[in-house]
Amino acid sequence: MSQPVPGFVPSTAPPGRPEGQRKLLARCWKFLAQRWEWSALTILAVAPLVVPALGGALGGQVTTLFIYCILALGLNVMVGYTGLVHLGIAAFFGIGAYVMAILTVPMFPFQIGFLAAAVISVLVTAGVGLALGAPTLRLRGDYLAIVTLGFGEVAKVTLRNLEQITGGMKGLNPVPPPGAGVTVGGINLGQAFAIDPRWFYYLTLLLLAGVVVAMRRLEDSRLGRAWMAVREDELAASAMGISATRVKLSAFAMSSAVAGLAGCLYAASLSTTADPNAYDFNRSIMVLCAVILGGLGSIPGTLLGVALLVGFDTVLAPWADSWIQQMNINPTGSSLLSFSGWRLAIFGLALVLVMRYRPEGLVPSRRIAAELHSAEGQA
Amino acid sequence: MKPNPFAGAAGSPLLDVDRVTVRFGGLVAVSELDLDVPQGSIVSVIGPNGAGKTTAFNCISGIYPPSAGSVRFKGRRLERSFSAATFARAMGVGLLTGLLFAAAAVDVDRLWMAVVKRGMITGEPFTAAGAMDRLRGYFRAELAIDQMAGKWRVVSADGAEVLAIKRDLTEARRVRDALQAAVTARRIGPGTVPDSTDLATTPEPAASAPELPKLKEELLDRLAAGKRNVRWRGWAGLLAGWLLGTAGTIAVWQRGRRSPHVVARAGISRTFQNVRLFHNMSVLENVLVGLDRTIPGGVLAMLLRTPANRRGEDVARGRALEELEFVGLTGDAGRIAGQLPYGDQRRLEIARALATGAELLLLDEPAAGMNPSETVQLTGLIERIRNRGVTVLLIEHHMNVVMRISDRVAVLDHGIKIAEGTPAEIKRDEKVIEAYLGSEG
Repeated sequence: MSQPVPGFVPSTAPPGRPEGQRKLLARCWKFLAQRWEWSALTILAVAPLVVPALGGALGGQVTTLFIYCILALGLNVMVGYTGLVHLGIAAFFGIGAYVMAILTVPMFPFQIGFLAAAVISVLVTAGVGLALGAPTLRLRGDYLAIVTLGFGEVAKVTLRNLEQITGGMKGLNPVPPPGAGVTVGGINLGQAFAIDPRWFYYLTLLLLAGVVVAMRRLEDSRLGRAWMAVREDELAASAMGISATRVKLSAFAMSSAVAGLAGCLYAASLSTTADPNAYDFNRSIMVLCAVILGGLGSIPGTLLGVALLVGFDTVLAPWADSWIQQMNINPTGSSLLSFSGWRLAIFGLALVLVMRYRPEGLVPSRRIAAELHSAEGQA
Repeated sequence: MKPNPFAGAAGSPLLDVDRVTVRFGGLVAVSELDLDVPQGSIVSVIGPNGAGKTTAFNCISGIYPPSAGSVRFKGRRLERSFSAATFARAMGVGLLTGLLFAAAAVDVDRLWMAVVKRGMITGEPFTAAGAMDRLRGYFRAELAIDQMAGKWRVVSADGAEVLAIKRDLTEARRVRDALQAAVTARRIGPGTVPDSTDLATTPEPAASAPELPKLKEELLDRLAAGKRNVRWRGWAGLLAGWLLGTAGTIAVWQRGRRSPHVVARAGISRTFQNVRLFHNMSVLENVLVGLDRTIPGGVLAMLLRTPANRRGEDVARGRALEELEFVGLTGDAGRIAGQLPYGDQRRLEIARALATGAELLLLDEPAAGMNPSETVQLTGLIERIRNRGVTVLLIEHHMNVVMRISDRVAVLDHGIKIAEGTPAEIKRDEKVIEAYLGSEG
């Protein structure tokens, strides 16, 4: 099998161009690939000023996309860096959303500010992560996958059955927007957030950028190396003086905390927790697929995976459906002719193709790619 | 030219393996092994395949616990003691689990309704003192007032029984007090001793007695039993959770008493027979994992990149490069470990082990799979390690390596030490020759 081209960097520009131009193009590509965060951040920061559609429904959809990016980066800590399979990340997403809602909705007496509520819910989800991690430390692979899957279901059912606390199937609402009742420079922040989706767009973008920076720093620090060492060989890591227990617990806590942050933002941006079924197994699997599709343990890969999978689901599919309706292609409403009817088939096909031709993901982390291709070379 | 091999031999040995036995079910892998490793020496363990050499290594480095006997390093058994912190952790986890169980046992949903939601219905501001009052009320199973569709209801503490419905709040309060008095009287009853809380909550008889709904006898009984019931459930939950949490924490502590990382932190490091590198990490990162403990700061320091953390990382990087230079892998720092040639992987494993700052290095067949020239290089490397002041315990099959560099050699066969002495003595030993070549006749 031929070696795939490394992600995003074409080795040669299209032929038939003068040498100097080709070199310039290659250099531009290289710059873009190396400084992808800054390029992407700049484009995303300027976009709402240029694209008016982002002030409408699209803005909300892209905000959801950013929230899923944060969630996936959280999952990546466990699955990508530490190599612990986690099938219940949506539970932590949900717990984050519900803690946020309990602390802010007018139905309950607490009604604290957005920031304080976010901090508390991140701490609570980290604590729940530790509580799940501590008894399951000795499990690996399939067994841990089963436990986390079970936890996800238990959490969902618990959220549904604690009707007094979580509102049962109705969920908790209305979750006030960030800065409700706070006026800065003549702008009522709460109202601004409620009316213009661009406020949430920037808030989530800012937090996403923060999470990306945090992940990059962790990746290149003591803790990140310990996570990867435990993934590679737990026994060897502990023989080097690393406490596998603490390292795995910290991965659980970090992963849950980031997922909890995503949950807070989700509840605040929708102004409701939605019903507990919004935090079910499907959502966990969707995020896990995004991480695997993009490339385990790779930050740009994870972001790209979410952009493709969740973007396909929440942005492209509704858009294609409305286009089909507008063009009157499908007057009888047959599901065979609607885009959503084919959504999961396309989704599955894409995953199969990626796993066949790029098992390390679209933008693989340097390390995982090395693993897969060295095995290939030896075979 | 050899430096004095028995530099520290006069005092107590660095590593003292005392009558260690390792059993796996009925199989005795190592039997009553005695082995002293003096400081600053190179000691080899040899023996035919399956003699229990690697098992002994795994036992020393904390991967298996010894079935009997003890391993002492610098006179200490490398076990985590049951410290005050262990005790506090067990208690803390026990308490948390207990509270969780208790919350489930007394029905956290109804507790929430009683404490939080009922604080919102009367329109009075929600206070912590009020919440505490309602919490106490829940555990005394006191009747409470609830709101439904604009009417006030007198309900049992958990909201399961509706006893009366009134339009007026004061009226409802009066009914509640009167019913509570009836329930309390029922609970105390003849023949039982009222406790202090009962006396405190028994209200004065109302001046104008409200029209009381008649309660059925069994309902009254049920309400009267509510207090004992909820308290019993709460305590039972707390106790069960506490036992489970404490026992679990202590079980985990006991299992990890002599875990490899405790042994490694004490100063024993090792390499593995089948190279166990972190294959997908770079060569430099592999060594940095060995230096993990030298870098200061917690998660927050790493996230904020505090100057101390950054300095620690830089120092560690410098030291990692020194270790790579020591084993001769300077040029490969940026490569992926799994892509190194086999011999280099073995040397990288040694660099990683040295980086932990170990005083005793266990090498498990370092020359396996090496060609003659690499073997000679390795012999030199082991001598240089000893000259650094690191004691070496070696398992090896290449006899020319063992005989050239060892100060002492121990021979294992079927888990039993059959000989120990200088290389020259071992070469002449009858039993050793028999173990390797078989006896005549």
